[in-house]
Amino acid sequence: MSKGDDKVDLDVGMYAAREKIHPREVDGTFQRLRHLAVIVLLGIYYGLPWITWDGRQAVLFDLPARQFHIFALTFWPQDFVYLAVLLIIAALSLFFFTALAGRMWCGYACPQTVWTELFMWIERWTEGKRQQRLKLDKAPWSINKLLRRGSKHVLWVVLALYTGFTFVGYFTPIRELSVSVASFGLGPWETFWLLFYAFATWGNAGFLREQVCIYMCPYARFQSAMFDPNSLIISYDEKRGEPRGGRSRNIDHRAQGWGDCIDCNLCVQACPTGIDIRKGLQYECIACAACIDACNGVMDKMNYPRGLIRYTTDNAMEDKPSRILRPRILVYGVLLLALMSGTVYSLTQRTPLAMEVLADRNVLYRDVDFETVENVYTVRILNKDREARDYVLTVDGLPDAEVVTRPEHIRVDAGRTSQVTASVRVPRDEARGTGHTIEFRLTATDEADIARTSTARFHGPREE
Amino acid sequence: MTKERLLQCLGSTLWPSFLAAAVASVVFFAAIDPETLRVQTFPGLELSRMAGYTIGFFMFWAVGLFASGLTYVLSGGGNRRHE
Repeated sequence: MSKGDDKVDLDVGMYAAREKIHPREVDGTFQRLRHLAVIVLLGIYYGLPWITWDGRQAVLFDLPARQFHIFALTFWPQDFVYLAVLLIIAALSLFFFTALAGRMWCGYACPQTVWTELFMWIERWTEGKRQQRLKLDKAPWSINKLLRRGSKHVLWVVLALYTGFTFVGYFTPIRELSVSVASFGLGPWETFWLLFYAFATWGNAGFLREQVCIYMCPYARFQSAMFDPNSLIISYDEKRGEPRGGRSRNIDHRAQGWGDCIDCNLCVQACPTGIDIRKGLQYECIACAACIDACNGVMDKMNYPRGLIRYTTDNAMEDKPSRILRPRILVYGVLLLALMSGTVYSLTQRTPLAMEVLADRNVLYRDVDFETVENVYTVRILNKDREARDYVLTVDGLPDAEVVTRPEHIRVDAGRTSQVTASVRVPRDEARGTGHTIEFRLTATDEADIARTSTARFHGPREE
Repeated sequence: MTKERLLQCLGSTLWPSFLAAAVASVVFFAAIDPETLRVQTFPGLELSRMAGYTIGFFMFWAVGLFASGLTYVLSGGGNRRHE
């Protein structure tokens, strides 16, 4: 199997023997942006579970209680549609941003990239810069190597465990969780998921790294379908750079027939996936822009203009105008806007109450006396509110219909379901025939806005 | 089996089935409460909801792994012809 640069040779096999990539550390505008993204995103991840809201954890996916709390909102399994819509919005945003700005997601926001960056900071801190790390790799085992390697792995494991702990903290109240961790009283499932997530973080960010992007990520494989010639990509300006080669800083390289690329290889050394951007756009490229920053630094030293490697579009590289507004962008944009505003609107209009009416299947109807017939229903009431409420049930749809529940005011605790039997009584003369449609209406006694309706069938004696 | 082959085999079976299991678990448990499921099937068994979710997730993963594994074997176990 091939090694090194030709990492992915599709003819030979998808999985080349891997040599550890030690990306060179570079500084520049885009790397600072990426660091900012790492700090903000991981800050949110590690900090969010500690925020309280209304006396409870602000973001808590309470699986044992089957409720999701997100700040002021509480979601129930009945709200599954919101999750579905959220996933659609996420997918559409990915399409939208990919078409617009290429693999922004990969370079700046993907958890894989973000945690890898964090693990690399630790590696850099304990094992030194690229050259030192390469040397350390080759060096025989010594006290120094053991100490550096050892401290790296200890820090990695601690960080991974804390990451796993935070992850479980989204599902079990994190303050209680930290108490149980401190007192070694963690439940078996919590222990399991903590270790599972810690192991995944440790393996993915510490060892697999770019291999996750290259071999495992589905997005990397199909993102080319979302690109068009107007999408932002990272590209090497071949026309300007070639022919490449080393030269003195003082010569007029143009007059000598050289391009701007001095073939210093820094762009290759900086690349966390180990590709050479000068070979053109490759699917391993996660658009982290490390090569841009590396190259710009060299261009500055050579007194050449920046941007030999830059964010650009296919069209711009061919001297054609790039268009931002194009049908693809407009369609994605309009769909996204519509979905998001629709979701927000429906969230504000949400009634914290759900009702389900089931007719008694055993008896069609029952004679109460000579004048009245009765149908019996089971009504399930779910109080999605944060406080206990009383409700009354009314019925409409047949003249003189009345509903009897026991008790009349149905009390349901916050977040609970209650089941009551409701008998609907209708005068015999009004109820003749089967399959009348009636409408139940459940209203909170103290808040008329909180109401739900549900239709059901009412059956009476046959027509005479 | 070489180390690369083993990694390839694991990567192309464990990972897709994991993704599928995650999606399947979310959809399944959004609609079905593991507690009701327990009451209707093994009411004598002491199982918390968390246990229900975990078992469900691993069941989905196992099913996905079975399918992925079969696909892997039937499609030539990676790149056998190149060996």
